Amino acid sequence: MMADTQWPRFMVFQKMNGKQPWQHNGTVHAPDLEMALLNARDVFMRRPDAVGLFVVPDAAIYKVTLEQLASEAELPDSVEFSEEREILVFAKPHEQSACELLGSVKAKSALQALKKGQSEWGDSKALWWWLFPAEASLMNAEAEAESMFSAAREKSYKNSSEYHTVTMMRQLHSKGRLEED
Amino acid sequence: MYGADVEQVAIELNEDPQKLADFEARIERGEKIEPGDWMPEEYRRQLIRMISQHAHSEVVGMLPEGTWITRAPSLRRKLILIAKVQDEGGHGQYLYHAAETLGATREEMLDQLLTGKAKYSNIFNYPSLNWTDIGTIGWLVDGAAIMNQTMLARSSYGPYSRAMVRICMEENFHKKQGQEMVILYSQGTKKQREMIQDAITRWWWPTLMMFGPHDSDSPNSGVLIRWGIKTRTNDELRQEFINQMVPDLQACGLELPDPDLHYDEGSKNWITGSIDWDEFWRVVKGDGPMNKERLEARNKAHDDGLWVREAAAAYAQRQSELN
Repeated sequence: MMADTQWPRFMVFQKMNGKQPWQHNGTVHAPDLEMALLNARDVFMRRPDAVGLFVVPDAAIYKVTLEQLASEAELPDSVEFSEEREILVFAKPHEQSACELLGSVKAKSALQALKKGQSEWGDSKALWWWLFPAEASLMNAEAEAESMFSAAREKSYKNSSEYHTVTMMRQLHSKGRLEED
Repeated sequence: MYGADVEQVAIELNEDPQKLADFEARIERGEKIEPGDWMPEEYRRQLIRMISQHAHSEVVGMLPEGTWITRAPSLRRKLILIAKVQDEGGHGQYLYHAAETLGATREEMLDQLLTGKAKYSNIFNYPSLNWTDIGTIGWLVDGAAIMNQTMLARSSYGPYSRAMVRICMEENFHKKQGQEMVILYSQGTKKQREMIQDAITRWWWPTLMMFGPHDSDSPNSGVLIRWGIKTRTNDELRQEFINQMVPDLQACGLELPDPDLHYDEGSKNWITGSIDWDEFWRVVKGDGPMNKERLEARNKAHDDGLWVREAAAAYAQRQSELN
């Protein structure tokens, strides 16, 4: 019998529409990538009008913060690959923005990819950087997108604007009763 | 201690005075502290305590409402309630994640909840006895929670603050669907008016207790405010909530169970009678009407889900062997 655990952690990324970059959304726990993608859909797709979703094991992500970059000695080690891989480069440019995809670079380690990313996109003020091999992630299939994302669009009763409580309260305060509509 | 200067605090907490001073300067400038950044152990400990309690509250909060899903009086109300309960489960997930960024594990946190060691919001140890409790929970309980969460959205810890921004957005739907119900029942048939009055009478005082003990009896407040985890005190938030709610509930023709409630012209505040803190502490310590049932329900759900976790793990294991 296996130990009863909550499973490893996966990071969840989403794309809201054609123009916006891929953005970090949150995390889920799952036994594997496939279940992680399904859990991500359940936890995070209750409202947003998304067009794409992917997950990646948290353990596969190389993370550094601005504070760590300021003192280079403290940078965590990264795994050396035997050959160059496509590494996705995410960063959080400033407080008000999400952690978003800058692009991808070819590199033999996440640390090397970080250097390339910094010279490519040059954002020395980014609050943090996340880097991971593209092959570590799992994205929803194109054909699944409609069934994964349409449910959230149709449930308008989840919008607070569906409830006219401000008008109702105004009527109660001024007339002591609700007006018939 | 927490009004003290940074040198003094560093000695008390056994932290490096320079690092602590830099950390406090960052908070002073309004910067967010992010996972991986240096932080005092006490900051980490307080955040894990607070965020995991908050996560547990979202999860246990599904119970008093979930029990009414099968008895919702219309399809519309049933859809709304299912969506709301599902949101609360999602909020628990966001918050467990925020606590994980501080090094707490999901297993530890769940274990503390299931063994009764962890606390969750006291309000959920009260029963939901009639259908209009659902509206009352939405307007009063979620309304009080939003007030607290709006403050926490400005919290100094990045992941907590971001979880709160998202939760507040979704909670607004919870509050307004509840408020709509309370308004409609308060203007409805005699039976509906009796039911909603009964619900408001039962939930009013426990809702006011949600903001926690008076500032003078709140041991963690000092450090939470010093480090920008909280920016307002329990009593400030409670007073703002009372000032918002009293006129609206009265406009609905509802009576509040407090003979001492009155408006104070000088301070422009609604002043309530004294809160029964004996009851509050009794319920916190486990002797509330529903503490035992809530814990049993969570344990049963966890145990009943064991075969699912085992099956999923076995499947993942087999797939990795095949590949």
